Amino acid sequence: MRQEFLHRTKLKAPVNVTWEVTARCNLHCRHCLSADIGEFSEAELGFEECRALLDTLKQMEVFQVNFGGGEPFMRGDFLDLLRYAHEQGITTCVSTNGTLLTDAIVSKLREMDLLYLQVSLDGATASTNDVMRGPGTHGRIIEAVTLLHRHCVPHVSINTVVTRANFREIGDLHVLSTRLGAKTRFSRFRPSGNGKKTWDELRLDGLQLAELSRFLSAHPDIVTGDSFFSITAFDRRELGLNMCGAARMTCSVLPDGGVYPCAFLHDRRFLAGKVLTESLQSIWDNAPVFELLRNIRVDACGSCWRFSICHGGCPAVAYFLTDALDRPDPECVASFRRALQSAPAADQAYQSP
Amino acid sequence: MIDPRDRLDYMDNLSYHLHPLVRGRNESFGLLFYNTRDTKLTFVRCGNLLRIGPAAGGISMLEFHCGREAERGMVRRVLQGLTQKGLIVETGVSP
Repeated sequence: MRQEFLHRTKLKAPVNVTWEVTARCNLHCRHCLSADIGEFSEAELGFEECRALLDTLKQMEVFQVNFGGGEPFMRGDFLDLLRYAHEQGITTCVSTNGTLLTDAIVSKLREMDLLYLQVSLDGATASTNDVMRGPGTHGRIIEAVTLLHRHCVPHVSINTVVTRANFREIGDLHVLSTRLGAKTRFSRFRPSGNGKKTWDELRLDGLQLAELSRFLSAHPDIVTGDSFFSITAFDRRELGLNMCGAARMTCSVLPDGGVYPCAFLHDRRFLAGKVLTESLQSIWDNAPVFELLRNIRVDACGSCWRFSICHGGCPAVAYFLTDALDRPDPECVASFRRALQSAPAADQAYQSP
Repeated sequence: MIDPRDRLDYMDNLSYHLHPLVRGRNESFGLLFYNTRDTKLTFVRCGNLLRIGPAAGGISMLEFHCGREAERGMVRRVLQGLTQKGLIVETGVSP
């Protein structure tokens, strides 16, 4: 398959680095996967330390930095950080809740050609979204996306973590995003951060995952950023990775410079090193925990009909739900194939009448 | 390591450089391209036959290390595909 050889090849550097630049946030979302990063990453790299890390990323030929948090715009120097990254030729992808975007900030974002912006929205309606993200946030998020559109900021997407709470609105979310001039992006709900506490309440059941798989097949314009390959249908296999990219294509940096294999494995056990005491290149090349991730083989999936498009799925989900990295992704579509075959036709079940 | 004497700077009297909106790097399997226009990656398994040279004046030229005709044929096909994808740009060179 297309990326099969990546299983046997170690890239000389990550393709992209997910960097949670702050643990501070003005919202307290019920499903936030980063809600507990402040517990083991209390300090925050200063501006000069951030610049030094960006210099290193340029030297390593990292193509893209995914900035997140916390809420990255809580940092007063965040626009300067973005500008500096772009000066190094690094593309940035910013995940924001949108509530801190002002006319002045957006007019500066407009000038950034290498910027991709994801604004989080967790429901097409205020009643659905605000339960997840807080009272009044739906209106503020819509205002932010409208502001971005008015300023003609390119590369804007509305990102939704698909949960049981908003599942029936994913069609409406797609319509809403399109109307606001933004792409639709769906993220996977994960049992990390606050997601550990709300997992049983908010996770999709097998039938819903199967329906989501069908819905995504019917809408190839919808972007799925992170490890949806556990439910990827064959017709979407060219649209993204077909295996876990942790320590192979990506790694994650926390506010204090701690380095982890990916943004979904922020657990002390997976700390690979700290950029203040060791170079990122050295961590990438030598950290035992990165070797561990690179050598995961989900033997139980080896003979599965879907193996070539998921390679066992997301080890982080397996780890948080089964305490082992090398178990099959518990949300793999193969385990509810029958449900997939009987799922309602795409488009029928996801839009309000 | 490649002997610098085996390096060719052009192919069929053409040279190629990365599109200004495209980043690329050398990897053990060949080349890895990143398109800033859509953030998509392109993996090219060409070993050392094709390498990205150091950037000069903001432009990175492609270097060829193929002597045999079979290798040159393979590289031609790769170049054609990359040009069609808008990842590299073809420029003429004086003979």
